[in-house]
Amino acid sequence: MLAFCNADMLFWYSLQSAEFDRFMKNLCLFLALACLTAIPAFAEEELRKWTDLQGRKIEARMTGFADGFVGLKLKDGRDMQFPFNKLSENDRGYVRENAPVDPATAAYEIDKLVWARLKEANADIKVQRAAIMAKKDIDSATRNKALAKLAHMEKMTHPTKPLSDEAFLRRVYLDIAGRIPTYEEADKFLRTPSKTKRAELIDELIDSEAFVSHFFNYMSDLLRIRDGISMGGFNNMKSGAYVDWVKDQIREDRPWNEMVSDMLTAKGYLWENPATGYLLTDFGMELCNLSNTFTTFAGTEITCAQCHDHPFEDVYQMDFFKMASFFGQLKYDARPDPELMKTLAAKKKEYAAAAKKAEKNANDLNNFLNAYNMNLGDGDQNKIKLPFDYKYDDGDPNQPITNPQTYFGEMVKVEKFDGPREAFADWLTSEKNPRFTINIVNRLWKHVFGIAQIEPVDNIPGHLDGQAQNYELLKFLESLMKEVDYSMKDFLRVMYKTQRYQSEACYASPTLEMIDKGEFHFAAPVLRRMSAEQLWDSLVAMSVPDPEGEQRLTRILDEYRELMDVDWKTMTYSDAEALRARYNAMGKPSVMMSNNKKKNAGPTMIRASEMRLPSGVGSFLYAFGQSDKKFIENSNTDGTIPQVMMLLNGSLTNQIMTSKDKTLVRLAQAEDSHDDGIDIVFLSILSRRPHPQDRDYAEKLVRGGQGASADYSDLIWALLNTREFMFIQ
Amino acid sequence: MKSEFNRLDPLTRRSFAEKTAAAAFGLTLMPTMDKAIAASTAGKAKHVIYIYMGGGMTHLDTFDPKPGADTQGQTKAIDTGVAGIQLSEYMPDLAKNFKDIAIVRSLTQKTGAHGGASYWMQTGFQESNAIRHPNLGGWAQKALGKQHEQLPDTIYIGGGGPGSGFLGAQYAPLPIGDPSKGLPNSKAPVKGGRMEERLTALEGLNRPFTDKYHTDEVQAYSDFYDNTLEFLQSKELEVFDLKKEKKETRDLYGNGRFGQALLLSKRLVKSGVRFVRVGNGGWDMHGDLWNRGPGKINEFSKGVANLIQDLKAEGLFDSTVVVLTTEFGRTPKINARGGRDHHPRCFSGLIAGGGIQGGQVWGKTDARGISVEEDPTTPADFNATIATALGLPLDKRIFAPNGRPFFIANKGTPIQQFFS
Repeated sequence: MLAFCNADMLFWYSLQSAEFDRFMKNLCLFLALACLTAIPAFAEEELRKWTDLQGRKIEARMTGFADGFVGLKLKDGRDMQFPFNKLSENDRGYVRENAPVDPATAAYEIDKLVWARLKEANADIKVQRAAIMAKKDIDSATRNKALAKLAHMEKMTHPTKPLSDEAFLRRVYLDIAGRIPTYEEADKFLRTPSKTKRAELIDELIDSEAFVSHFFNYMSDLLRIRDGISMGGFNNMKSGAYVDWVKDQIREDRPWNEMVSDMLTAKGYLWENPATGYLLTDFGMELCNLSNTFTTFAGTEITCAQCHDHPFEDVYQMDFFKMASFFGQLKYDARPDPELMKTLAAKKKEYAAAAKKAEKNANDLNNFLNAYNMNLGDGDQNKIKLPFDYKYDDGDPNQPITNPQTYFGEMVKVEKFDGPREAFADWLTSEKNPRFTINIVNRLWKHVFGIAQIEPVDNIPGHLDGQAQNYELLKFLESLMKEVDYSMKDFLRVMYKTQRYQSEACYASPTLEMIDKGEFHFAAPVLRRMSAEQLWDSLVAMSVPDPEGEQRLTRILDEYRELMDVDWKTMTYSDAEALRARYNAMGKPSVMMSNNKKKNAGPTMIRASEMRLPSGVGSFLYAFGQSDKKFIENSNTDGTIPQVMMLLNGSLTNQIMTSKDKTLVRLAQAEDSHDDGIDIVFLSILSRRPHPQDRDYAEKLVRGGQGASADYSDLIWALLNTREFMFIQ
Repeated sequence: MKSEFNRLDPLTRRSFAEKTAAAAFGLTLMPTMDKAIAASTAGKAKHVIYIYMGGGMTHLDTFDPKPGADTQGQTKAIDTGVAGIQLSEYMPDLAKNFKDIAIVRSLTQKTGAHGGASYWMQTGFQESNAIRHPNLGGWAQKALGKQHEQLPDTIYIGGGGPGSGFLGAQYAPLPIGDPSKGLPNSKAPVKGGRMEERLTALEGLNRPFTDKYHTDEVQAYSDFYDNTLEFLQSKELEVFDLKKEKKETRDLYGNGRFGQALLLSKRLVKSGVRFVRVGNGGWDMHGDLWNRGPGKINEFSKGVANLIQDLKAEGLFDSTVVVLTTEFGRTPKINARGGRDHHPRCFSGLIAGGGIQGGQVWGKTDARGISVEEDPTTPADFNATIATALGLPLDKRIFAPNGRPFFIANKGTPIQQFFS
């Protein structure tokens, strides 16, 4: 059953200490257990000859591939499950090509690649150490310093311990669901005796609404999704339709390449085609949009080429404008239905008169109707021109640039497409594009592990070899993304199923210098502070039993479509006002109403993804570093004094500590003894039961009588203020 | 001595990595670790009180009246005591103290949208979706180092403006909503002994984790807790408490939020904070201007005049630049609803103290207040003027984490006349 422990790894294993011992045992155990689950069958494949590593041959059809085992139906009708890694290289290639990706096998490949690199780095450190020891012309202080540095480096090449069930539980909830588990969720997982419960939980969470919420936060940082889509000189319209569209893509696991292509080629009204939201985000700033598009989807920062040739990459100012001209025909006010515009113009006058009569302000109604002015489309003219101060030989100031072309990858034949935007989208999202796939796998790797293979993520160099921490790994991730057909969920599933992910975070942090010099080798997830959203959403999980319940969601897309799809010719002023009022009320979750009645009920506990984007100055999310959603990935996890004051003294923590409306207090007080109440509080906040020494401190903090008269507020306060709560192990 | 800015000169992959890597590992170090660097120019001011009139303050009814013009509406002009210079009748207090203030009547903007215009005004840069520019408080901290040991260098009272942009969170303004309520969350909800017990237990509960993960990030958070707890027991906290002021003093500033915010700004400056922004909204007067306007104009005139007197009495006026500005002016043409609409072509601002020569006007608009006739002043120029008063280097390149170079105040030209 130790199918995956190949000779290479056993060699490494024999070299290392007890730490490695444990790691290997765990890895083998993990994989051995994996084959206990049934292999899902798929459509019958051809009968062919199979060879294993020892040269033995059989004739069989492949019937399935899961958890590291290939299902084979022999000629005589018998079924067998054969370890994938014992197959010949040729057969493994056949399986990869003809069977869907097996997350367990892919995860194992990743572990192996990380492993190989660590081994290399470790050997290299040994050589360096020997060299230092052999040097005779250095004083002992210099030598000790060099040795200490090597010792630190070596420490970082050691794998960390596998996560305990408790730590695993907390980590996957925070990383996949975006919040800590509720008490019930934690209790259920820890009580489950199943050997396959980790893989099952990963799959369950990836398919949950909580994942949609969390991954949306990530996407809205990347895509800069904020409240209000600009309507030029008018006020903003609600961006909810676009928000809902992005959530839908996540929920339905829309392939990344298709989603990106949709955003870049979108046409029509926001409510008809909410993917228009991406280009509308940069209304009137086509050149900024191009820079952002490159950064976001190709991991390439070309903003500087807008004003001059890139100082140290091969990007010329002319290149920038040739690429910009892919979007040169873009129109924000395409207005394809002149009849409708005429009707609305007449109606606006009618409504204005009616409003005046009723002594009401028509501004809100006008603003609502102005949304019909915004229609994304393409005109005939390409508007891109070189800047007035263009100073290079290959063009003149103000010269129109009407021949869109890219500066890396394959040349684009624009005439083969409906328009230049379509040509660009095809080029960008093509499997052949050298940066599109690398960009997304690099970003997702960082999303999962806390540090990217190529840092910074928006500076993917022309030549990856030598720039990536682990070139082979990066190439594997690229091919994996293609194999899963750009499914974000399937890709992430593999990441979370690796042993590296399911290991404790780095105990020490790499220095910037180490990363820069390539002296840092990824061995374990980086210890991270919770993001503002993770922190807020975790507080939600302590407050309400159903953090992602339907009544807590703020979807508007369907209602918005209904509102806008009316025959305006027949709409009276009061009809129009009624529609506007519905528009204004859209996007408020039903739980808000009940809370508004009660004064001092505290903020409505809905997830950050359902709230205003961004949440605004003075808010909890702002204080903890939520992105302003104006600049790509502009969130931070820096510590500030207002944050600490908010946790120490803020009304929100006070609510969670004391309010019987909140789940945590209710659950703890339902227990008869302080001891059981303490268990509830620990499991609810730290997703673990208290250690004996914790209990000593905890007991001193619980006040009052038993049951409903017990006061756990001081204990809750203390746990919310621990580093253990704030950081993700 | 090597300039701090040289250290920032990057143009290597390395420094590109800095921001990203810092983000990857969570925390940056304590803001107080910023090393101060000597200013290269002669500006002597140490503080700025930056009063921002959000929504677009009318110029014709405040600093730039045009008595007799068809565009003037009901607003009359009054003398200032400086020959040939009049202000609107709603601002007698500032008119009386005109020798202390300088005004700019030739501010001009390129956009009439609130968001873009206020961003431009407060950063000196056109808003872009590719980079976020810092406010002047952030720039000052970057150039001069942290001024106050414990308090943040930039504090925003009442409403937000641009944040610290690409400089990062350690330059971020501390927001305070209601000045009378003081610093949010600074009061412990439980009393002394109980808090002690909580903290003792917290320390014990923390130990297993902090022993295991002695990373810089975890350590920095522990330091933040220590510093905050120390701060919460320190005298510094009193600076936020307006109840420490006499009732008469509070009354002098005006008892509205705005007046109290000005009083708080003075207290903060007195305790060493560098940049205090006081926000005042409600200037977007598309209708009903002569009902809504006069009271508000009178309120700020009284408050600002009193602030200046108070700064003088405290001996802080020469080291404190008082600025009052807005994103654009309002149309000379009065609309059907008795209001004025957005008018970016010209508007006015005030600048006083910090070594700036009072009693003067820079720039001139035409007879009807429609466009600038003399010395047009862009947002960058206005920012450059404030920056010069603070002694910030305008000609030093500062690199954003993405490698793009920027200059404080975006190569604007300071109004030299104010400094002579």
